[in-house]
Amino acid sequence: MIEVRDLTKDYGPRRAINMINFTVNKGEVVGFLGPNGAGKSTTMKIITGFMAPTSGVAKIAGFDVFESPLEVKKRIGYLPETPPVYTDMYVRDYLKYVADLKKVPREKIKTQIDMALEKTNLGSVQKRLIQNLSKGYRQRVGIAQALVSDPEVLVLDEPTVGLDPKQVAEIRDLIKVLRGHHTIILSTHILSEVQATCERVIIIHQGRIVAQDRIENLAVQNQGQSRLNIRLRKDVADLKTLLGGIEGVVSANQGASRHDWEVHIRGTDEVVDAISSRVVKEGLGLLELSPHKVDLEDVFLKLTYGQDQAGVQP
Amino acid sequence: MMGTMTIFKKELKGFYLSPSFYIIGFLVAVVLSWSYPIQLNLFSQLLANYMFQQNLPQQQLNIHYALFLRHMSYLNLMLIFVVPALTMRLFAEEKKLRTFDLLLTSPVTSSEIVLGKYFAALAAVGGMVLLALLYPMATRTMTQFNWAPLLIAFFGIFLVGAAYAAMDMFCSSLTENALVAYGTSVAFNLSIWFIGAGAELTDSQAARMVFEHISMNTHLGSWAEGTIRTSALVFLFSVIALFCFLAERVVESSRWR
Ligand SMILES: Nc1ncnc2c1ncn2[C@@H]1O[C@H](COP(=O)(O)OP(=O)(O)OP(=O)(O)O)[C@@H](O)[C@H]1O
Ligand SMILES: [Mg+2]
Repeated sequence: MIEVRDLTKDYGPRRAINMINFTVNKGEVVGFLGPNGAGKSTTMKIITGFMAPTSGVAKIAGFDVFESPLEVKKRIGYLPETPPVYTDMYVRDYLKYVADLKKVPREKIKTQIDMALEKTNLGSVQKRLIQNLSKGYRQRVGIAQALVSDPEVLVLDEPTVGLDPKQVAEIRDLIKVLRGHHTIILSTHILSEVQATCERVIIIHQGRIVAQDRIENLAVQNQGQSRLNIRLRKDVADLKTLLGGIEGVVSANQGASRHDWEVHIRGTDEVVDAISSRVVKEGLGLLELSPHKVDLEDVFLKLTYGQDQAGVQP
Repeated sequence: MMGTMTIFKKELKGFYLSPSFYIIGFLVAVVLSWSYPIQLNLFSQLLANYMFQQNLPQQQLNIHYALFLRHMSYLNLMLIFVVPALTMRLFAEEKKLRTFDLLLTSPVTSSEIVLGKYFAALAAVGGMVLLALLYPMATRTMTQFNWAPLLIAFFGIFLVGAAYAAMDMFCSSLTENALVAYGTSVAFNLSIWFIGAGAELTDSQAARMVFEHISMNTHLGSWAEGTIRTSALVFLFSVIALFCFLAERVVESSRWR
């Protein structure tokens, strides 16, 4: 549905994105993840036809964004970083205007507006001036605006920024509801958001894609490493020697005190089993043993910040 | 063209439902309500004393020339400052609010955006011109005169307003600061009058002819008599077309930064 090939954009001498390649299939929800200034918004602005790339191609539903911009724009709902709302308009009138701009057939306009209002829970403020709405509500008007034309593709640039936790949860639920019906690409720097809503993630750093995969695959990408947090009743000087001989123990680091240890292991449940039985056999007073999967956060930090200081393991 | 209609309707509502439009209209009415009776009074005195001033030029006794032309000059002077106030927000505001992103990612072309906004600006300028037309119309209750020259003259002044609107819309497209847009717009509007003044500064016969053709003062005089020369039409329509085109280029170029 979305196809991006060798996309490059220079702002003057500054290269914002560099040879970006990815595709998004119909009905997929893809998270665009990266630290500040990575080039997420730039990529989205190009996909939506807001601006031209320096080189490369972007295609939506088979239409090239710059050869047939009108065909592309009809199919896209876009929420920019700043919600594009007219402060002197009423919420409902604004949505009507956007629906007209997006060439929604006249007989469908009313139902579409009601649908967008309902999905974003804006029914109660539809007769209010946007000027008088709080930031979170304006953000929701921005989302409603992207939804109102019932587009095939939704491009959401940081959809949950500025919302309170309850609304964040609501928007995430909304995205889950929209999944399947729309193809969605959303950007964020919050990992839990990607984990909560997306099937696939594209991690971008300094204008380049550093990883793209399904979320499950990315998490185990770190060579199957995982971490055990162990709490003991007894003081232990060196847990590593005590665990000596067990295949798969990579390291054992002391935590907050000599009761708390963090053990890095490579391998599967057998290693955990071996460690726990060893600890019990030694009579160390096992209080807690919690396996901690290397999660997306570790992968993310490693792929982005880790790159700047090569070799540093998370 | 659907896009033009949508944007036109939105901007038109923006003008006619906003308090600032009526405040501007009110201020225009205040100035005209002060200047028009003075002119009217002068004219009636002139007519009363006509018997004693045998050598008065015939022109001075023509209501279209002695009264309405002056009225139009006042109106024009006000349009120079009022049209920028109407148009300054057309693009500057969109850029500032970032709603420009919405327009540029909607299935409308740059020319549809520019035309929609321009037609709305014309409707707003038209409102101001109609407001000024009320004064001569009220005079009709006191005296008889020909409608045609008056209406032609006001059509002419509306065209001048339309040329201002095109230039001022272009100024608005250049910046995201409405006040900057206002300042440059006024400068553009004034410059159109100075171009005509070049006629007095040049010796060359050909250059003088050219300047006379585009001199707005000459045009205004002939409109008051009820004639619109093609040179005036050509000049104004080219200004309108040129600046609409330039504004379209500016909008289009924002995609290529
Ligand atoms: N209009 C512009 N002119 C010049 N440089 C720009 C412009 N817009 C963005 N950049 C630069 O391009 C790079 C990518 O910016 P972009 O806005 O795409 O980042 P982002 O991933 O969206 O960041 P954030 O998470 O902060 O929104 C940044 O280094 C930024 O400084
Ligand atoms: Mg961004």
